[in-house]
Amino acid sequence: MTNYSIPSKQRTLLLGGMVIGAICLALTWFMDGTDHHMRFWTNFLHNSVFFTGIALMAIFFYAVCNTAWAGWHVQFKRVWEAMGLFLGVGFILMAIVAVGLVFGWHHLYHWADPASVETDKILEHKSTFLNKGWYLVSIAFIGVWYFFTRKMRGLSLTEDAMGGVKDFSHHMKTRKWTASFLPIVGFSSALVIWQWVMSIDAHWYSTLFAWYAGASLFVSMIAMTILILIWLKSNGYYPNLSLEHFHDLGKFMFAFSIFWTYLWFSQYMLIWYSNNGEETVYFNTRQDEYPVLFYANLAINFLVPFFILMRNDTKRKFGSLITVGLIVIFGHWMDFFLMIKPGALHTAHELGGHSHGGDHGHEAAGHGAAEVGHHAEAATGHGADLAHGAASTFEAGFSMPGFLEIGTMIGFLCLFLYVFYTHLSKASLIAKNDPYLSESLHHHV
Amino acid sequence: MRELGKEIIFGLYDDEQDLLSAVSSATHDHMDIYDVYSPFPVHGLDPILGLEESRLHIAGFIYGALGTLTAFLGMTWIFTKDWPIIFGGKPYWSVPAFIPITFELTVLFAAVGMTVTFYIINGQGPGVQNPILHDRISDDKFCIAFDTHSVEEGSAKSFFEKTGATLVEKKNI
Repeated sequence: MTNYSIPSKQRTLLLGGMVIGAICLALTWFMDGTDHHMRFWTNFLHNSVFFTGIALMAIFFYAVCNTAWAGWHVQFKRVWEAMGLFLGVGFILMAIVAVGLVFGWHHLYHWADPASVETDKILEHKSTFLNKGWYLVSIAFIGVWYFFTRKMRGLSLTEDAMGGVKDFSHHMKTRKWTASFLPIVGFSSALVIWQWVMSIDAHWYSTLFAWYAGASLFVSMIAMTILILIWLKSNGYYPNLSLEHFHDLGKFMFAFSIFWTYLWFSQYMLIWYSNNGEETVYFNTRQDEYPVLFYANLAINFLVPFFILMRNDTKRKFGSLITVGLIVIFGHWMDFFLMIKPGALHTAHELGGHSHGGDHGHEAAGHGAAEVGHHAEAATGHGADLAHGAASTFEAGFSMPGFLEIGTMIGFLCLFLYVFYTHLSKASLIAKNDPYLSESLHHHV
Repeated sequence: MRELGKEIIFGLYDDEQDLLSAVSSATHDHMDIYDVYSPFPVHGLDPILGLEESRLHIAGFIYGALGTLTAFLGMTWIFTKDWPIIFGGKPYWSVPAFIPITFELTVLFAAVGMTVTFYIINGQGPGVQNPILHDRISDDKFCIAFDTHSVEEGSAKSFFEKTGATLVEKKNI
């Protein structure tokens, strides 16, 4: 079986999942308890960023392997190509968020509200970067990534059609594209994640944030790759894909889970140690008002992969790989939930005049600098309830992922898989003329 | 040099593929291999030789866990009971501040413990000299060695001839 064909049962299942997602999105739109459909837009942004990020990481790692003369992955490189091609859909999804931002359909970002920027010194100061123009630039970067993905895919497909490559000339041509892609992703991935996610907490910033979010996406991508490959292999595709490849992928999942923890902790400890109110507000909110998610995040994204994948044999068994893969994908999805929701809820309260959080919003808007004062006070543990008015009460879809959030995630996941399998079925599963194919077939660790 | 009192007959091979097929034919004929030497790790050699998986990593985990406990409980005792000092207005028991040192001691205990264990188990350490059968084993040749007590000299020689060894020698170590 050199080509993948989507069974009709799978197609129905994925389309059904997308319908569930669409229904959940519609329900969140109509049953939203918050103003400006904040729950709908945060769910939309959350899943768009998460799955676009996974697609980016797939093609990024593809480019890394190619640039580093790696050969072990060549056998299944079509999987990463197909995952990367989801960027085309990701562009549309994020463009919807951007169009909504330009026309004021949503209030995801506090800095997009002109009245707040006028009166808030911090937001005013940041407005050279946090503005609609730069947001559009960040969307344009998805277009750039997609262009590079198409280019790499095209070169990979022409290699198939060349009928036996005698030298490395074609490979070198591909390398020019993959190598020049790396610095572009390096800088632009930070820019987009600041714009899309970090700026939701508009007053807050962290220099480590892009790496931390990037590591989260990378682990999710590796977990997704493992699950997809196990699925393909158990259906009879990739007969030469051996436990050695899964061992390597398992090592990546293990190592980058630790890397994620390292970045998570580095960000946390520096902010905890310097105890600067402008910075501690982020963790103060999450630790005090989202304690379950906050600690569960560490437990399932660090302790589970660390202790399960530590042994040699668990990385070579499908059962343990599937278990950990599913857990960390959900865990990192929840990590993004925790990055996005608290800040967005706070913005909703500030702008919306919702319960008594709204009063605080007007007050803060009136005294931009006083806002920082509040946060400093909050950080020392005396004024947590002052800084976030209604946050101690349960807010559906914000305090905890509800059924609608899970349903939306299933919808986006099915969309991702549908696009992925469609692209996968369009080309041969094995790049038969890649000069490194033989190395991949004989891979041994 | 300390003598092991062993008479060894060994053969050198030019290529690791020759070595692998020779080792598998030796194990097939139930010849007791004294040892195999190669200038670099040869993929697929361990399973043919029937070597068990090393248990060193289990020791490593225990050493690491000991390091974790030593660091964390040690700091807890020092900073809450023995000599409490306020640093930067933080509580005495500041878990985030303990994490980096806990991590360092985990790595240190695991690394040092595993190194020492490895040397003890292999009978290595300062002052120990290991006999070298042939200089080119550390260069570009692959070697299979038999103890003449367990494998007869004649059958070893015919084995080396059959499997294509380029040089056969006898040495007392």
